[in-house]
Amino acid sequence: MGRELPVEDPLIRMQRDLKRALQKNPKDIKWGMVIDIAKCIGCHACTIGCVAENKLPPGVVYRVVLEEETGQYPAVGRRFVPRPCLHCQNPPCTKACPVTATWKTEQGAVIVDYNRCIGCRYCLVACPYSARTSDFGEWYTAGTAELPGKLYGQKAAANGYESHPATEYGKKWPDRDHDSPVGNARKCHFCLHRLKVGMLPACTTSCIGRATIFGDRTDPKSLVFEMIGSPRVFRLKEELGTLPSVYYLR
Amino acid sequence: MFNEKNFRYIMILAVSGLIIGTWGMGARLIYGHKYMDYGSFVPWGLWVAFDLFFLGLTAGAYIVTILVYGFRVKLFAALGPLSVFALLVTLLCEGIIISLDLGHPLRIYRFFISPNFGSMLLWLVAFIVAMWAIYLPTFFLLLREQFIEWSQDGQRAGHKIYRFLAGGRTTYSEEDRGRDHRRVRILSYISMPIGLLFFGMHGAVFAILLNRPLWNGAMTPFLFIMAALLSGGALITFLAYLFHPRDDLVQPLGRVVLGLLATFLFLEALQFFVGYQSKVPNFVTSLNQIAFGPFWWAFWILHLLIGSAIPMYILITRPHDSRAVAWACFLVLITFFAVRLNYLIPDLAVYKLEGLQNTFFHQRLRTEYVPNINEWLVSIWVLSLGLLTFFLGMRWLPVEAAGKGEEEHV
Repeated sequence: MGRELPVEDPLIRMQRDLKRALQKNPKDIKWGMVIDIAKCIGCHACTIGCVAENKLPPGVVYRVVLEEETGQYPAVGRRFVPRPCLHCQNPPCTKACPVTATWKTEQGAVIVDYNRCIGCRYCLVACPYSARTSDFGEWYTAGTAELPGKLYGQKAAANGYESHPATEYGKKWPDRDHDSPVGNARKCHFCLHRLKVGMLPACTTSCIGRATIFGDRTDPKSLVFEMIGSPRVFRLKEELGTLPSVYYLR
Repeated sequence: MFNEKNFRYIMILAVSGLIIGTWGMGARLIYGHKYMDYGSFVPWGLWVAFDLFFLGLTAGAYIVTILVYGFRVKLFAALGPLSVFALLVTLLCEGIIISLDLGHPLRIYRFFISPNFGSMLLWLVAFIVAMWAIYLPTFFLLLREQFIEWSQDGQRAGHKIYRFLAGGRTTYSEEDRGRDHRRVRILSYISMPIGLLFFGMHGAVFAILLNRPLWNGAMTPFLFIMAALLSGGALITFLAYLFHPRDDLVQPLGRVVLGLLATFLFLEALQFFVGYQSKVPNFVTSLNQIAFGPFWWAFWILHLLIGSAIPMYILITRPHDSRAVAWACFLVLITFFAVRLNYLIPDLAVYKLEGLQNTFFHQRLRTEYVPNINEWLVSIWVLSLGLLTFFLGMRWLPVEAAGKGEEEHV
């Protein structure tokens, strides 16, 4: 006993935190995420939410849920570690890019300019967390029979849903197979297009266990700030000195 | 020994390669990377391995040109123009295959308009451009006399092209020759630091990656320099035998290749020793991938047996047999691709986070990588183009003629 149930859904508080952050000078915001491993049940809803939000094609994934087995039989356990891009404060990927197509914004999100990326994939090699994927131009509906007006076929399914571009970075990209982001390195961008309009990232809102906490990590009133102060906090591969903006709670 | 019969065989080989490779090239140009087997966890595959291979091959020519034009070593003077030409052809092949590997090859202008000076890849590209900027004029200056001479020969097929290449000049004086060789010498001096940085930078692209234990470290650039000298040295020795089969030329080069081979193997052994002794799991896994992974045969059979043990045996036991020396170098040369592939893939083939293999199932998100037929066909196309360019160049450009009597001019 001794623990009280939360009086409000953490999502409500995060939404309030986000509203407050957006009223700040953008230069003073530093986005951060805390993932409570103890709360993650491995449902992969965040992965699916992210794929749907960003209309990710086959083989491109921004947020995966790692499944780790711990201990030795019979004292065995299993834990789930969601892994978005960790938005390192000292990112190896941005240093690798030869054409400055990827960089860290003032708010701390590491982003990619699809129109500048040459597709050399050096950033994929440089990322210690395998958080970047390359878009090889694949389709879920490739090879399916075309039947206009019905639910299947590359052009027909949901009125060519798959060919319509995502709204990543708040921009209108060309239809799929017509230039970027096909051929580009792609990665989690903390759903900047949602943040701009006051919405939390898709992975955060879709987390049924409320294991993902997002907000301005420099705001002392925010939930994410509070969580970063927990004695349970750790970051992945800290020894590399990449200083991720995504923290974990044991 | 190069004769008309060999030339015909090589042409048949190269043209066949181009025809067969067209299928892969078509797939690449029409469908992009869709039908290639590398993915996001093994983002660099066969073409990057070929890129490393080609870049390495330029080193032999680099050393020869420096020895001949920088240090005026007359022994290798006949190889001067041949070396420069070989270097340019390998750079051409490298440029083509790495452009095909890019997701957006038409955006290479980005290297110039939005460069990231902190990126090793940018510097590698900068040094590749510098090598072109040095060796293209060098090649022209070395061949100019023959261009003028051939342009004056009305009976020679294509003499108008030679007239164009000669810039319309009809005479070439002793003074011109002296001035051109002086310019070549200056370019050769400039190439010394540029070339070293070029080969070193090649390794630095890999060496700086903290998350890649097999690559990360100060020894990697040095290993790359040695690898380049070995493969490039083997290439030049073999070409020397083909086009200038003189014992006094081929045999000293063979001894140099033997020394380079022994040094390279020693460095490689050091890398294994340090890796296994460090007991860093990712490092050990990568080394195990090299020695006992799916490409174990490339390491043990191609590299160590055919590409190292047999050539070493030949070079030690038959150093005075130029033909044997040339064949030993040929073995080193053709198997060196396996070294490049088996260096590139093993570090990529280790999952960097525990549990990553069980998280999202897609063929692009696996560490198992075997180049598919399209990748091989594109590589064959590029290799064939290189072969065709080199041997047609040797026939239609005055490369051999420029090498004759070069001892007097250096």
